[in-house]
Amino acid sequence: MQYPEAEVIALSPRTLLATNRFVCEICGKGFQRDQNLQLHRRGHNLPWKLRQRTSKEPRKRVYVCPERSCVHHHPSRALGDLTGIKKHFCRKHGEKKWKCERCAKRYAVQSDWKAHSKTCGTREYRCDCGTIFSRRDSFITHRAFCDALALETARVAAASNMSSLTSISDGSFYFTGGIMRSNMLQSFPNSILKPSDDSEMVNEQARPGLSLWMGSQGVPHQNLSENLGILNSHQSKSPSIIAYQLHGNPLFSYRNLDQNQSSWMDQSKLSSSTSSLPSLYSTQQHQEMVIGQDMSATGLLQKAAQIGVTSASCPSTLLTGMEMKCNSNDVQYLDKYDAGGFLHSSLAMEKAVDTFSLQQNYMAHKGDGRGGETRDFLGVDAPSICASTLNGWI
Amino acid sequence: MEPKDPSEAEKWATKLIQQCARAISEKDSSKIHHLLWMLNELASPYGDCDQKLASSFLQALFWRATESGELRCNTQLVAAAAADKFHSFETARKVMLKFQEVSPWTTFGHVASNGAIMEAFEGEAKIHIVDISNTYCTQWPTLLEALASRGGERPHLRLTAVMTASTGGKSVASEIEKRMVKFARLMGVPFEFHAVTTASSLAAAQLREVELVLHGDEAVAVNCVGGLRKVSVEERDAFVRTLRALRPRVVTVVEEEADFTTTGGDLVECFERCLRFHEVFLRMLEESFAATSKERFLLERECARSIHGVLARGGNGGDCERREKASQWCRRMTQAFSPASFSGEVVGDLEALLRRYRTGWSLMATRSSEVSGLYLAWKEEPVVWVSTWKP
Repeated sequence: MQYPEAEVIALSPRTLLATNRFVCEICGKGFQRDQNLQLHRRGHNLPWKLRQRTSKEPRKRVYVCPERSCVHHHPSRALGDLTGIKKHFCRKHGEKKWKCERCAKRYAVQSDWKAHSKTCGTREYRCDCGTIFSRRDSFITHRAFCDALALETARVAAASNMSSLTSISDGSFYFTGGIMRSNMLQSFPNSILKPSDDSEMVNEQARPGLSLWMGSQGVPHQNLSENLGILNSHQSKSPSIIAYQLHGNPLFSYRNLDQNQSSWMDQSKLSSSTSSLPSLYSTQQHQEMVIGQDMSATGLLQKAAQIGVTSASCPSTLLTGMEMKCNSNDVQYLDKYDAGGFLHSSLAMEKAVDTFSLQQNYMAHKGDGRGGETRDFLGVDAPSICASTLNGWI
Repeated sequence: MEPKDPSEAEKWATKLIQQCARAISEKDSSKIHHLLWMLNELASPYGDCDQKLASSFLQALFWRATESGELRCNTQLVAAAAADKFHSFETARKVMLKFQEVSPWTTFGHVASNGAIMEAFEGEAKIHIVDISNTYCTQWPTLLEALASRGGERPHLRLTAVMTASTGGKSVASEIEKRMVKFARLMGVPFEFHAVTTASSLAAAQLREVELVLHGDEAVAVNCVGGLRKVSVEERDAFVRTLRALRPRVVTVVEEEADFTTTGGDLVECFERCLRFHEVFLRMLEESFAATSKERFLLERECARSIHGVLARGGNGGDCERREKASQWCRRMTQAFSPASFSGEVVGDLEALLRRYRTGWSLMATRSSEVSGLYLAWKEEPVVWVSTWKP
């Protein structure tokens, strides 16, 4: 019980459902609270009186639901807010008077209905293959079975020469997963992500997709090699051939996941740089991508390990053979969160490179004060998403 | 002259088929010949509903009349299976997804089952779903998405799909596996997929294979959407009992509402029931799909195959899917499980689902307290039954 000393108020259903009980005698306008009516009466030059708050210590009031079968009927589960209990009663036990015209969904509380009407039917779901859906469930099912999913991976797998582990080549999917997450992001705003949240949140989410490039460039040199060093310690091989060793790396193998994973996490926490977590996410993601990616990407990582800081031309080689759409999505993130235009953009490679340098600057200035809270598109911590993804390979 | 009742003229196929069935049972050969000739003249698999009905039933009537069902049916099945593109993943996927877009026939069962499973496994860390269905795993993407977006820890999900030859077998299974694995990864749900395939009919043996893949620390769900009817009639009770051995926490059963098993030797009754069910199905297809739809045509062909399988021979045998009604399935299920009910949330979801389709669909309660579950009804006619069970 949150307020053990609180005064438990049990209002009747009639009281809870009543709206605008306080009516102005002049114009008939109704108000929910007497205070509001009194203030209104001033406008009519009527005598008004505002009740003063009692001088003694105001006692907390909690409200119970009059419905006997309801869990909030018991004082221990009372709600602390009058508006809250009113809405609760209405929603759970009230008549659903408000009906959406489009989908016929019914609501008991008018504000709920209004909020729904704003978004209902306005959302369109677009698959990479070009098909558009108005229904979310159709879209989800289609997405899961769509060839666009399979094609991307097939093409990438064919390009890679790492034939030994076909499942690992699905790691390239992780990259495309970034694309699809971008698309999914737009598609599942309500449940997974709230677009109306501050843009900071959005840009945090943007990072995972872009961090694919981050792994080679956005991350300061010492972090990259530090992360590579982590891999080194696991397999004691020179950085130059890490890329090729990755698929043999126990970190990414099925069975040794748990032990390596935890040490991987620990290592990342040790690095004090502000972009440490993104680099955890990005390097992991990058390496997963690299395994199944074109030779250019693999070569890039190798090169990065050997040379250190890679040139600005790297992103373009990295981008070769990759889905262009993902670039456009990420740019959208940068500009603003544009739910509508998100899925319909198509940018050229050059723009993507510009994007990258923009991102870099953004990253440099941003700083990561969020500790372990880097979020991916699904609104989940990066470490856990990595973990679960890797677990998914078991 | 009597006024022409338009509905009378429309249902000519039903009448002819019924009359022919009667003629066969009465062994009135001249009448049989006459009616078969008429049906042959009017039938067409490319025509309207009546013409399609006439076409599929004509074949069955012929086999019964000549008692050549056994031999011809098998030949037909083999030829059909060889040429049939429905068994390719590409076609199956296209047909299934299109069907689900225009009709809640299968999605109703999916939503109900997923809802029951989600609620039963609230808070579970490791889930194993044993899927014995005919919908090519189209049920699972929405469940994966729901697991991803409901908040809280994502459980580790293992899915074992039992697939018979009629649902494509190994090649289809591997295509499905690829997609499920990828999609689960996209959703961030730790996932594993197994397929248990069988070239013969579904029996308890497949369940024993499934048992080998179960882990002791998992919460098990068994999901049967159009799967139980693949088990031959005399083995169904044993199958249900074997399901119990998998120790599931929740079982969902979705079946089409028709009784093709208890007609005894009554040929007329057999044809009557088959007519009633398949006519509703064909009309529903006609009203749900666009006029020229390849997917609809393939579904109609499956419908014809179903009719042939049930009617070509007398008795309850044959390698076909003999549907049973909710009351019958309930009697079987209660041997090993107790009925559970769908929550208000799930019912709400089902109603919302139906609103997304054209009019004509409704949610219907069962008529007897001995029959648990709910119906999907098309024009007030219950067509699909959904139910959930616990140990």
